[in-house]
Amino acid sequence: MSNVTYISGKEPHSREHRLIFRNIDRKGYDPGLKCYLKDGGYEQLKKAVTMEPKAITDEVKAAGLRGRGGAGFPTGLKWTFIPPTNTKPVYLICNADESEPGTFKDRYIMHQDPHQLLEGMAIACYAVGAKLAYIYVREEFPHAARILEEAIAEATKAGFLGKGICGSTFDLELYVHRGAGAYICGEETGLIESLEGKRPYPRIKPPFFPAVLGLYMSPTIVNNVESLCHVKHILAMGGAEYAKLGTPNNTGTRILCVSGDVQKPGYFEVQVGKVTLGEVIQDLCGGLKPGRKLQAVIPGGSSAKVLRADERFKLKRGDEMVEIGLEDIPMDFDSLAACGSMAGSGGVIIIDDSRKISWVLNNINSFYAHESCGQCTPCREGSLWMKKISDRIVAGKASPDDVATLESVANNIEGKTICAFGEACSWPTQSFIRKFREELVADTREELAGVPVNHETTLAAANLKN
Amino acid sequence: MVTLNPTTHAYLDGQLLAFQPGDTILKFVDRHKGRGFVPTLCDAPQLDPYGACRVCSVEVALKEDGPRRVVASCHTPLSAGMHVHTQTQKVQKLRRNIVELVLTDHPLDCLTCEVNGNCELQTVAAKVGIRKVRYPEGKNHLNRQKDLSHPYMTSDLSKCINCSRCVRACDEVQGQFVLSMHGRGFDARIIKGFDTSFEDSECVSCGACSQACPTSAISDIFQSKAIVATEKTRTICTYCGVGCNLDVATKNNEVLSIQAPLDAEVNFAHTCLKGRYAFRFYNHPDRLRKPLIRTNGHFEEVTWEQAYAHIVENLTRIRAEYGPDSIAGISSARCTNEENYLMQKFIRAVIGTNNIDCCARVCHSPTAFGMQQSFGTGAATNSVEDLQHTQCILVIGANPTEGHPVTGAKIKQRAMKGVPLIVIDPREIEIVKYAKHHLQLRPGTNVALLNMFAYFILEGGMVDRDFVGSRCENWSEFEAGLRSLDLDQIEEVTGVPREKVRAAATEYAESPASMSFHGLGVTEHSMGAKTVMLIANLAMMTGNIGRPGVGVNPLRGQNNVQGAADMGCQPHQGAGYMRVNDPAMQRLYQDFYGMPVSGEIGLKIPEMFEAARNGRLKALWLMGEDVVQTDPNSEAVKESMNALDFLVVQEIFMTETAKFANVILPAASFLEKSGTFTNAERRVQRVNAAVPPLEGTKPDGQIICEIMQHMGYPQADYTADGVLEEISRVVPFFKGATWEGLGDNGKQWPVKEGNVGTPIMHLDSFKRGLGKFHFFAWQESQEVLEHGLEFPYILTTGRLLEHYNCGTMTRRTGNADIVVEDVVVINPADAAKKGVTGGDWVRLFSARGEVRLRSRISEEVKPGVIYTTFHFPEHLVNNITSDVHDSDTLCPEYKVVAIDFERVGSGDEPAGLPIREKGRAHTLPV
Repeated sequence: MSNVTYISGKEPHSREHRLIFRNIDRKGYDPGLKCYLKDGGYEQLKKAVTMEPKAITDEVKAAGLRGRGGAGFPTGLKWTFIPPTNTKPVYLICNADESEPGTFKDRYIMHQDPHQLLEGMAIACYAVGAKLAYIYVREEFPHAARILEEAIAEATKAGFLGKGICGSTFDLELYVHRGAGAYICGEETGLIESLEGKRPYPRIKPPFFPAVLGLYMSPTIVNNVESLCHVKHILAMGGAEYAKLGTPNNTGTRILCVSGDVQKPGYFEVQVGKVTLGEVIQDLCGGLKPGRKLQAVIPGGSSAKVLRADERFKLKRGDEMVEIGLEDIPMDFDSLAACGSMAGSGGVIIIDDSRKISWVLNNINSFYAHESCGQCTPCREGSLWMKKISDRIVAGKASPDDVATLESVANNIEGKTICAFGEACSWPTQSFIRKFREELVADTREELAGVPVNHETTLAAANLKN
Repeated sequence: MVTLNPTTHAYLDGQLLAFQPGDTILKFVDRHKGRGFVPTLCDAPQLDPYGACRVCSVEVALKEDGPRRVVASCHTPLSAGMHVHTQTQKVQKLRRNIVELVLTDHPLDCLTCEVNGNCELQTVAAKVGIRKVRYPEGKNHLNRQKDLSHPYMTSDLSKCINCSRCVRACDEVQGQFVLSMHGRGFDARIIKGFDTSFEDSECVSCGACSQACPTSAISDIFQSKAIVATEKTRTICTYCGVGCNLDVATKNNEVLSIQAPLDAEVNFAHTCLKGRYAFRFYNHPDRLRKPLIRTNGHFEEVTWEQAYAHIVENLTRIRAEYGPDSIAGISSARCTNEENYLMQKFIRAVIGTNNIDCCARVCHSPTAFGMQQSFGTGAATNSVEDLQHTQCILVIGANPTEGHPVTGAKIKQRAMKGVPLIVIDPREIEIVKYAKHHLQLRPGTNVALLNMFAYFILEGGMVDRDFVGSRCENWSEFEAGLRSLDLDQIEEVTGVPREKVRAAATEYAESPASMSFHGLGVTEHSMGAKTVMLIANLAMMTGNIGRPGVGVNPLRGQNNVQGAADMGCQPHQGAGYMRVNDPAMQRLYQDFYGMPVSGEIGLKIPEMFEAARNGRLKALWLMGEDVVQTDPNSEAVKESMNALDFLVVQEIFMTETAKFANVILPAASFLEKSGTFTNAERRVQRVNAAVPPLEGTKPDGQIICEIMQHMGYPQADYTADGVLEEISRVVPFFKGATWEGLGDNGKQWPVKEGNVGTPIMHLDSFKRGLGKFHFFAWQESQEVLEHGLEFPYILTTGRLLEHYNCGTMTRRTGNADIVVEDVVVINPADAAKKGVTGGDWVRLFSARGEVRLRSRISEEVKPGVIYTTFHFPEHLVNNITSDVHDSDTLCPEYKVVAIDFERVGSGDEPAGLPIREKGRAHTLPV
């Protein structure tokens, strides 16, 4: 591996552990099949097709792989949800609708190392018994779609996809499907509807659990791009060996996408839980900008609950509870959940004291109001009202009561919608108000309490100011 | 004390109650507490659970004090022992907050809104206790434009609450996919087609969206959801054999609007635009309101007594002079069972002849005859409900989305859910889009094709030998017939490649439950009855009889065509299908009627026309039938009418036939009378008068009773329940039927004592004992043999969704603004040969006559085949149809007419006929 060299300025940090991103920004590496094969490409697929499908699932389970798309659900377990008595075709869908604000890992894989994804998918398809798989690529990634299509053509020609893969009886057809620009298509049932050619309204669960009634009412496994890439490495290393990476129940590596107010934002592949949030900011990203103080961190994509810089958290370490500060939070699924937020999609957003907190919240609310699909009443109406009220706060046209109204709208959405978008859009508001109530109230004006508001003028003012 | 049955009980607000398997929480609550106890905005009983408004949220726990979870009750399944809390503070607050959000973007003009008092949003808002809206006024959608473009449908989307019920109704109920949601979040809004108006969309105006809409966002010109009605009457639609139940809203004895009841087993909140909207014919100014007698070539208004006296005098004279067999009656499949029963009783017991027939002659007489030969009963073996259980649907010679829209929609829905659909039809009709197999045969070759179909079942070793062995007879003759087939010849005459037939036959035979439907494309042929027997063969050889999801199921054309035959309106069988020429049966009828009856089989309709022309038939009584417009070869029919001594017509409008009458009696429409209709699945349903007869008119049943009385027969006055009781004493399969016992949803005959119906027939044995196989070799129609060289194109006829038969009723409603004319459909290759482009006027001519129609060029017909409809008397398409009949039943061969055609002018030039510019998208020239 020592011969691997990277583009100047893109070298991995010493704290990184590169599996998935080994070839990203690597010197002389291209997305073509030749390049991939030179580096041991498709060897794992060759091995996989000689194994029992169940053995692969067992390896993935043993590896403890958790989904990298946002929810962190155990991938191997998900695969076993396909009913054993199933007689319908099984589909696998790669969710490449990477659209959570603050997240930019999957696009690197698709742009620079597409065959890694194809190999991971092929292995996963073999394991779950899928003969047809789709990569659902968001509209905003036209190059990724083109690159993947070229890669699929190459791989099919070389016998890694199509009929009788690697000399086995395993057939797999793989298609790229492009989205049309809606965040909701990242939600797996919305994605499935969209893939079926329909409006991406998420489906009700029950009864439409994808592993039972998914694409075309058949069992369907939906996995994230990064998750599927990990499958290849799990097979290469063996599940048990892979599980030694990271920390217990938070195994392997994952890619953190750091953005916001740091010296060197970017991607970092680290062992899960082996670096703390403080190390991410100070070590990996070279610290905050000169003279700035940390104000807050959103640790897992814009929908993750915000953490306040001076917050104290209680965390279990061994058998005892310890109190830690924000910089000591290990970047893993369980710790971030214990701290009241989530690891989510790996998008870490750093907010320093130059940012007005009401502006940050309004920015997020504007996004979710724009992306609510409109199916469930609380979310359709509520996400817009959250934006309207935070618009008002930013514009200095809000009364102090508006903060309470804002909070009640958010409480009215969380857990009351068909899909998790309800949580995604209400958690920011709920957590910002809980942790920054004073700051938000300070942006309102006492004298406006009880004064009827003409909303349109405040909206215009808000737009001007931003 | 109630004991907890772990599989059947759950707690509802602390009370242990039973639920049914598959119940959602909301269904369980609705059943025990009534609809609305838990409010909802997006759920509707006729639609699949949706879960979007969240107003129906409840708290659930697995144990009494267990942790509670908020769930939407409409789609969450109930589990045994679950604790459901519907009224906690938490869910009440949630409901209030949601409705409050909805109200921020809804006009608060309740008092002037058409649905005030019947608005679900209003009801829910009141129920959850909204007192004020905390949100300041902001951007909203209150200024959206109304859409008043359509003859029926309207929309005012400023009232829309984005519940998607209309979209789901369009998708799940009708299957038209016209409505959809556009944009997302706050910008989400309902659109029609590609964001056009109702008028310009592909909407078929079934009104399911309007009925499903909880507000007045989507409505109709009748404002059907307004509560101005003072009364609602449940009755049965008069338009086709589906037998949709209708709720007719009336005020001051006027019909305001029609909706489809939610608890109707037949149509479950669905009906087509004819049933829901095409009712304004009933009080149209054209309605006949006075009896008319022709004097010196003119009709003169007379009193009922004068009319009766005139009739009695003439009928008595003719009977005395020429004998009872010089008189005949034609009954109507549009009228009730009771009226049909009385009509045949009048002809048989009072006149004394078996010259009684009805319009089943020209549509499904081959079905009745053919199925009697095969099974012993001439009626559908199964129910439409069986579509939910079948695993393969075979549709032969029927266009259900146009002819039987509610059944058609159900077939479409099943096909969309993956049930394989086989369509045997010369045209690419709407359901072909959803079909797995389409066998597009040349008109007139059904027998050849079905023989090949059966051959492949035999050849593929897919015959159900057990069923054939134990329940059928005559197999070996049939098998020998199949083995003698010349497949090359069949391929050539049908134009269908054998491999396609083999694939379809395999699909049908290998499915665990296959169900066939057929229509007039089967019966209206020279080998019509034989084709029906071949369909019966298919069902028997694959064991598809006598269980759910199988059978042979004719789609009857008229609302009561089943009933008219059941009641004995046919010349060879009396009420209950007993043979008139069987002396024992003759005695039975004689004793029952208290009058001598004839033992001679009477005349069928075409024989009546011939007898009239020959001078043997002197008098004809027509009840609700326009034979001049609807029977083939109109010129010949007119000649027959002219030749009659005396013609009585009972009608609601002045029809082409009525113009020939000596006496016209103004009858009442279905909205003004009571009785029963029997639908295509043998379901006897109650028709209830919603309004009294228009002044001067009388229900047909009353007219017949009164004429019987005037002729000296002691018939009691007409009451629906009274006549039904009389019928139940003579018709064996009505034995258990009583007016009360039929209930809201009717009963399927045979109705056994105690009002027990029969959804599936021939369970363990056939009515005739063993089911009988028949083999028939295909023969070319006489029409093609005689005229095919001179007139090389084959015209086949059908009908449209918007119009009913000759349009007497539908042309007097808004439907006439949707489809304005009959159009001829020509394949592009044929059109090119004749220099015809879309919209051109075309002259079609046959050995009988000619018609001029505008053209539509489409590949829905193959080269050599021409298609049109016969709804408009201006065109009188039957001027060219043939005299060839089914050899067994004399049903006319409307489906095979040898014609030729030529272009006579461009579409802009009037060809002596009025052209109107509007029309349903697919009927316009392309």
